[in-house]
Amino acid sequence: MDAAITADSAQMGRNTGSQTLSAQHHVPGGWPIWVGIFSEMTEFAMMFIIYFIAKAHYPELFNEGPTKLNTLAGVLNTLVLLTSSYCVAKSMQAIRRDDTTACVRWLWLAIIAGAAYLLIKTWEYHWNETMGISKDTNTFFTVYYYTTFNHMLHVGWGSAAVLWAIFGVKRGSFTAQSHGGLEAVAVYWHMIDLAWIVIFPLLYVLR
Amino acid sequence: MFTNKSIDSVWIQLMLLTLLSAFIAETADTGLAVIIIVAVTIGYKGRMIVDHFMELIHANRYIRASMRLYFYVIPLMIVLAYLFPEAIVRMTTLR
Repeated sequence: MDAAITADSAQMGRNTGSQTLSAQHHVPGGWPIWVGIFSEMTEFAMMFIIYFIAKAHYPELFNEGPTKLNTLAGVLNTLVLLTSSYCVAKSMQAIRRDDTTACVRWLWLAIIAGAAYLLIKTWEYHWNETMGISKDTNTFFTVYYYTTFNHMLHVGWGSAAVLWAIFGVKRGSFTAQSHGGLEAVAVYWHMIDLAWIVIFPLLYVLR
Repeated sequence: MFTNKSIDSVWIQLMLLTLLSAFIAETADTGLAVIIIVAVTIGYKGRMIVDHFMELIHANRYIRASMRLYFYVIPLMIVLAYLFPEAIVRMTTLR
C-alpha cells in the first residue's frame, strides 16, 4: 500500500511539474494577439519618444501645459481604466471556474468603465475647448491631442472587442477548458491600460 | 515583492498609487525627487499589471521579459530626459 501511495505521489509530482512547465510556455491569448500588442506598444513608445524630444526643445511649453489641463479628468480616467482592467482580470478567473454568469457580469462592468473613460475624455476635450485649448495652441497640446486621441480610439475598439467576448461567452464559445479568444481580448485590454499608465504622468503630472 | 498576489489587492494598490500621482500633480514642483517617484510609480504599476492582470508571471518567459523590460526602459527614459535635455536637443537638431 505504501508503495502504491509513493507511486501516486510520484505521478502527482510529475503532473505538477509538467503543468508548471506548460504554464511557463503558455502564451496568453496565442501568438497573433502578441504580435498586435507588441506593435501597439511600439507605436506608443514612438509617441513617448516624440514627447521627450518635444519637451527637450520646448521646456517652457511642457512645464506650463500640464497646469492648464483638467487633472481631475486625467485622474478619473486612470481610475476607471484600472478598474476596467481589474474587471477583465476577474472575468478570466470566473471563466476558469466555468462561472459564465459571473464572467459576463465582470465583462459588462469592464465595458461600463470603458464607456465612462470615453465620456470623461469627451467632457475633457469639451472643457479644453471652453478654455481656449486646441491641438494648434502649441507643441505641448499637439502632442497631448495626438497621444490621447490615439489612446481614446484604442479604448473604443477595445470596448467593442470586450462586447464581442460577452456574446462569445453567452453563445458558449468560451469555457473553462477553452477560452483562448477571451484571453486574447483580456491581454489586449490590459495593454490599453498599460499605455495610459505612462500617458497620464507624462501629460498631467510631470512639469 | 512580485510574488502571487490577489488581484483585489493589486487593484487597490494601483488606485492608491494613482491618487498619489494626482496629489503630486497638484502640489509638488517638479524636481529630481518627484521625477524619480513618478518613474518608479510607472514602473511598479506597469509590473503589477503585466504580472497579475495579464497573468504573465507564470507565462512564456520571452513575452514576460519583453513586457517587464518596457517598464524598466520607459521610467529610465523619463529620468534621463529630465537630467540630459541638452543632449536630446543636440541629437535631434538638424545642422
